[in-house]
Amino acid sequence: MRINIAKVICYGLPLPVLLISMCIGSSKITDIFYYSTLLYKQLSGVAMSTSEANSFAMTSNVLLNVRLPRILLTFIVGAALSVSGAVLQGLFRNPLVDSYILGISSGAAFGASLAIVYSLSFINVYAFLGGIVAVLITYAIASSNKQLSTITIILSGMIVSGIFIALLTLVQYISNPYKLQAIIQWTMGNLHSASWNEVKQAIIPITLTVLCSFVYRWRLNLLALGDDAARAVGINPVPDKVILVTCATLMTTTTVAVAGIISFYGLFLPHIVRMLLGADNNKSIPANIFLGGTFLLIIDTLSRTLFMFEVPIGVFTTILGGGFFVFLLKKNKVNWN
Amino acid sequence: MQAIEISNLEFSYPDKKVLKKLEVSFFENKFSVLLGINGGGKSTLFKIIAGLLNNYSGNISLFGKDHKTLTYKDRAPLIGFLPQFNQSVFSFTVEDVLLTGRTAFSGFSIKTSDREMVEEIMKDLSITHLRDKTINLLSGGEQQIVMIGRLLMQKPKILLLDEPTNHLDVYYQHYLMEKLKKYSKEGFTVISIMHNPTLAFQYADCFYYLHDGHVHTAADPCIPDIDLLEAVYNMSFVQVEKNGKTFILPFGEQV
Repeated sequence: MRINIAKVICYGLPLPVLLISMCIGSSKITDIFYYSTLLYKQLSGVAMSTSEANSFAMTSNVLLNVRLPRILLTFIVGAALSVSGAVLQGLFRNPLVDSYILGISSGAAFGASLAIVYSLSFINVYAFLGGIVAVLITYAIASSNKQLSTITIILSGMIVSGIFIALLTLVQYISNPYKLQAIIQWTMGNLHSASWNEVKQAIIPITLTVLCSFVYRWRLNLLALGDDAARAVGINPVPDKVILVTCATLMTTTTVAVAGIISFYGLFLPHIVRMLLGADNNKSIPANIFLGGTFLLIIDTLSRTLFMFEVPIGVFTTILGGGFFVFLLKKNKVNWN
Repeated sequence: MQAIEISNLEFSYPDKKVLKKLEVSFFENKFSVLLGINGGGKSTLFKIIAGLLNNYSGNISLFGKDHKTLTYKDRAPLIGFLPQFNQSVFSFTVEDVLLTGRTAFSGFSIKTSDREMVEEIMKDLSITHLRDKTINLLSGGEQQIVMIGRLLMQKPKILLLDEPTNHLDVYYQHYLMEKLKKYSKEGFTVISIMHNPTLAFQYADCFYYLHDGHVHTAADPCIPDIDLLEAVYNMSFVQVEKNGKTFILPFGEQV
């Protein structure tokens, strides 16, 4: 019974939330009934008055070119962030990490800034390289200690993240104003500026990497038990880990490129899914895709409608996620080993 | 027939040479026990055989096949390993954990036959009632039994166990030894590290002692030799006869 309710939450919510988000926005609440009558008239070829035609064209424009791309972008970004969080938590055997804590986001921002300064094309490729370098350094620092302990991973992630932010600041400081503007635009990406362009840019890498993680979902259980537990049953964990870290990094850097750094979201969403469906990644990875997308959509819809002005989504996720992080620290009784 | 043959095996950690020109072979379809003092390299030897440590020199063969040329996939049906106890970070259910034992064979998704096997093994180990329980909320003993179940899911020819009776109460210790003896009769080759000679001599067939980087055995490893046991542990043991069974008990004095 409990599991059924959980499944309804994970798989039943996306569609209604998508529709509701379509209807509400900063301009006004779209009268969906009025619009559907107009749409019906349009489709069935019934003549419309000029005012009706104008209002239909405007609303269509708002829905199709402003709200729909934003909603789709938010959904895939949310799905990517929570899947990457779930994958990284499993791989690092640490429920307190996500791509932000491991330094991937900062590494990506730095990689992108370098590419912009040297006027290189394919900025996203450099962002990806920055992200993968960051996560590898984090892993290397943490595993130079004999065992990967929860705290060492978080600390090394924080250090790596700090260093990359410092390097990013340095690059910003020495670059000329035009490039500086480009860098800031890249790193401060915001769902506010979502258009079909961003959707096109993000949809392919995110779909591929999310699909790949979906394929590996059951194997992630074994990887989450540790390297020795994998080798003991005749599985070499290294290739799986390389593939999954690559996927998680590519997911994250793509989201940073189109929506900026959204911190902590990948940390707490997998926990919510685990509370609903249990730890089995076989069930939780698909749920992370759907609930991850839906929940970010809810946050985004709130952030653009709750106040007179639009609150950057990162502010919301950081406040939510920060509180959740403290709760997890208490609950898991994290200590120095 | 030998299940495992090892010759000239050498292994060092950066600060210490652990195994020195080690020679040993283990018999197929027997329940063998490896005894020896703490820090003697027993776990290291098992990790090497199981493929967890690779930078060794010397020769190991599993059923006549060279260990170094075997891929992980080749090795999975031959040998399964129970490492010393390892806590799970996530709240996997017992069923989830058992199923991970099939990964080498099932690849990316669980097969129906895997689920049937879970039923069988849970029944065999009398842990069916724990199926949906969270692994890290079980007692240490229950967790150990589940991990042994995971090993059996792999159905390897050789079961390599590093201190399986660790964390178990006295009832479960005997329960498990009884099971291991049964498995060795059913076609598994069971090789286990143990710290309790009394228990080992009560159930196992053959006895090996790791001491100072070498494996020592009696002329026939499958005949209990108290003198050797006393020499390895540097203390005396007594044999007690009761109801037609022989028990070997530590006596405590130095030889």
